[in-house]
Amino acid sequence: MLQTLEGIQNGLRLSVTTPLEEVEAAAASEDVLVLEFEAFRDGRGFSLASVLRERGYAGRLIAAGKVLPDQARHLRRSGFDAVELQPGADAAAWARMDQAFSAAYQPATEAAPTIWQRRRAASNDRDLEALAERLNREVEGKSAPEIVRAALDPALGLRVGTISSFGAESAALLHIIAKERSETPVVFLETGQHFLQTLSYRTQLTKALGLSDVRLVTPDAGEKATLDVRDDLWKTDADACCDLRKVRPLARATAGFNAIITGRKRYQASTRAALKPFEVLDGVLRINPLADWDSEDVEAWLVEHDLPRHPLVEQGYLSIGCWPCTRAVEDGEDARAGRWSGMDKVECGIHLGKRQAAA
Amino acid sequence: MKIVTANRLSDGRVIYAGVDNQPVDSIEQASVLDDTAAEIVLAEVAGRPDVFVNPYLFEVSDRTPSGRDRLKERIRSAGPTVGNSLLWEKA
Amino acid sequence: MYRYDEFDHALVRERVEEFSDQVARRASGALTEDEFKPLRLMNGVYLQLHAYMLRVAVPYGTMSSRQMRKLGHIARTYDKGYGHFTTRTNIQYNWPALTDLPAILRDLAEVEMHAIQTSGNCIRNTTTDVFAGAADDEIEDPRPWCEIIRQWSTIHPEFSFLPRKFKIAVVGAEKDRAAIRTHDVGLQIVRAADGGTAFRVFVGGGQGRLPHIAQEIAAAVPAADLLAYLTAILRAWNLLGRRDNIHKARIKILVASIGIDAFREEVDRHYATLRREDLKIPADELVRIQAYFAPPPFEDLPKASAPFDRALLADPDFARFARNNVRRHRQAGYASVVISLKPIGGVPGDITADQMDVAADLAERYSFDEIRAAYEQNLVLPHVKLDDVPALWRALHEAGLATANADLVTDVIACPGLDYCSLANARSIPVAQALSTRLADLDYQEKLGPVRINMSGCINACGHHHVGHIGVLGVDRKGEEYYQITVGGSPDEQAALGDIVGKSLPSEEVAPAIQRTLDRYLEIRTDGERFIDTVRRVGPDPFRDAIYETLDAANA
Repeated sequence: MLQTLEGIQNGLRLSVTTPLEEVEAAAASEDVLVLEFEAFRDGRGFSLASVLRERGYAGRLIAAGKVLPDQARHLRRSGFDAVELQPGADAAAWARMDQAFSAAYQPATEAAPTIWQRRRAASNDRDLEALAERLNREVEGKSAPEIVRAALDPALGLRVGTISSFGAESAALLHIIAKERSETPVVFLETGQHFLQTLSYRTQLTKALGLSDVRLVTPDAGEKATLDVRDDLWKTDADACCDLRKVRPLARATAGFNAIITGRKRYQASTRAALKPFEVLDGVLRINPLADWDSEDVEAWLVEHDLPRHPLVEQGYLSIGCWPCTRAVEDGEDARAGRWSGMDKVECGIHLGKRQAAA
Repeated sequence: MKIVTANRLSDGRVIYAGVDNQPVDSIEQASVLDDTAAEIVLAEVAGRPDVFVNPYLFEVSDRTPSGRDRLKERIRSAGPTVGNSLLWEKA
Repeated sequence: MYRYDEFDHALVRERVEEFSDQVARRASGALTEDEFKPLRLMNGVYLQLHAYMLRVAVPYGTMSSRQMRKLGHIARTYDKGYGHFTTRTNIQYNWPALTDLPAILRDLAEVEMHAIQTSGNCIRNTTTDVFAGAADDEIEDPRPWCEIIRQWSTIHPEFSFLPRKFKIAVVGAEKDRAAIRTHDVGLQIVRAADGGTAFRVFVGGGQGRLPHIAQEIAAAVPAADLLAYLTAILRAWNLLGRRDNIHKARIKILVASIGIDAFREEVDRHYATLRREDLKIPADELVRIQAYFAPPPFEDLPKASAPFDRALLADPDFARFARNNVRRHRQAGYASVVISLKPIGGVPGDITADQMDVAADLAERYSFDEIRAAYEQNLVLPHVKLDDVPALWRALHEAGLATANADLVTDVIACPGLDYCSLANARSIPVAQALSTRLADLDYQEKLGPVRINMSGCINACGHHHVGHIGVLGVDRKGEEYYQITVGGSPDEQAALGDIVGKSLPSEEVAPAIQRTLDRYLEIRTDGERFIDTVRRVGPDPFRDAIYETLDAANA
């Protein structure tokens, strides 16, 4: 839901009449951008927001100036997090008009499932289990690229996307996918708490591999305002933090996919010991091309294809998540020992069943 | 002389400012005003957007529209000159 | 035809509730008229001279008999017993009360209809060939693509507050029966090199004060990428189009000012960073929608029909109707039948509630329950068995719907003009009526062959006068109605703007001047040459002379 904010907000303020190039240049160094509408009829702001989001701006985007409650969902779906209310504005009308429609046809920046995606999901549910079984038989003994190719076969009519943390081992899978189809959507959970090195690595790798559709998925501004206004939820409840920053956004972002390629490997965790290349989880086909790889296989692939490395690997980070919950591991320690170290937690929840989809 | 006209919010019909600036349906009941009075009445009805939508002035002589938009104002006051709405009203 | 599923139903219902909320806020003063206006326009509600006007969308012109009956019901219950079909295949009601509009929209929603985006600075109703799915020259039925565009463009978050309105038309044949080059974007289905469906894309057409014929921006956009390409076009215009001058805000002005090549580069730049994969039309959604447009269960019939042929011989009036209003069909033994809404001396495009009921009954009985609204402000029954045409004709005749003048000179396209419209400078309807009455003789009309006259009551050109073979534009000269004549315009695949022949004429001179133009054509045409071809061959001069000869004589 679009946040409604009282009073003048901090952040760089630009009129929606500012040329796109200038807005983009300014956004590159800003965490908060306030786009000011000089007339509610001037819809440039909707395109500016959409373009900024598609080109990777993950900071806060606030609409200000002359906007109407009836534009709440246009703002939200174009990528705005919040609106700065004019003095005397009726916040109730904003909330009501924001929720006037239960669904939209067309894909937009906002990740909620569209009518098209929901229709597709409804029609695809039936035979995924059988499909997974068949594909598992067909790819028996096949390589990771062959598994990816099988999943991307247009004849299957699957809507395939992938999730990547742009972490220590991510380059291998992304490289394989990019070779097969570089426009495959890649979802990156922009939790707001990544290492800076991860963010620059994401940019570097995206470019090197020619990935054309890397989607940055941020936590819902409204949820975050309720649950974690000071960005320190991780201290008291890491599960809730993962839920807010990863599980819920991912559910929204992947609602349009009925097949998701993951980089999970059997050796990584006890919960993953029986991992197959294809499996169905909550009505979505999970494709795990690297199921039988171990860390040496990944290393060999990275070396063989001369792929860029995550800058933190040199410093001893072997599995990289958000900075508050990741530490380097000692020699001989399990690679994932550095994740949620000291907590009774091995998975963030995005790869477990029964995802808590946002209502 | 001038008459103040608008469309009524609820049904869009042509209205005029009549006695006490009340909306009236017929140009025959409209107040015919001199320039100064017309501006005052226009300002008054503009403050009642729940009745008067887009109010404005037009010129008349003997209650007949006479300015540049006289044809338009005659059609507004009398209804379409041709067409199916006339048949409906007869029926 | 397309049928709503739960999602379509929910969206239209929610739109009605949203509009009710907006009407309530306008009444309470929470919304000013200035704020309310664009919101009501996006629901097709204008405030005209005498009342509100509601424009109901007929998506790509296709209706069922149930929908047509509901349109009749609305005309009777909330209006004055009639409706008016427009060149963009919508229907307009001239007298609804604002307070009745939520109820009308609810009635429409019951039959899967709405007034969403029939006005306002957003993407309007997508139009197409009235003979889609019936014509024998079609590469592919364009209607599934129209439905996809309808859904994609409905309440679009990025493109609901554009610099100006945006109109898209789609055809599936080389022959352009939807005037695509007069649209902001015109789409023509073509075969890609790999045999797949692709779209030839035209951009920057439009009429109004500064008319432009659209130019080709892409020769073959693969069908799956259509929405991504449209998004790139709209995005480029939304960011660069002018907002300081309403007359220069349409995309045609942007394209003309920076040039088609620079505009193409701009579009390509946006296209490159779009989420193309997201916007790819899902194959299963396309299949789902196409299934609704599958051909109806035609019978296997011989090409010729004995009842049809007998009626031709028996009744010269029927023979005339068959010559002028019956069109070839892709299926042997079938035809498409044009129901002219241009009775001699009538209001072009108007239809009474009772006639709507008749048309609905006949569609149900003779045309697989389907009826179409045409660009020419007529109706079409697309799939009629030749055997049934005589009976259909008799029924149409009884209802005053059998005027045998489709595409002839009295098949005049006209806007409502100053009798209804708050933008008009002059009346259109009385001039069209005078013309129709003067040229009523059907023998004369048939001798002339196809001639299109288009009439607009102001420079906004809702009557498409720029692209009429003969165009008539109403202008205001010091409070008097005058009419400017153009010749040589054409809306089709040879689209052209007409030439203004000279100074404008008073209303009573229009019909005689046009008749002189037509007589001059009869004198100078070669064998079988259509009016428009003669104009193209000889230019406007002979017609200018004909129009002004008596006037000049009188002034001499």
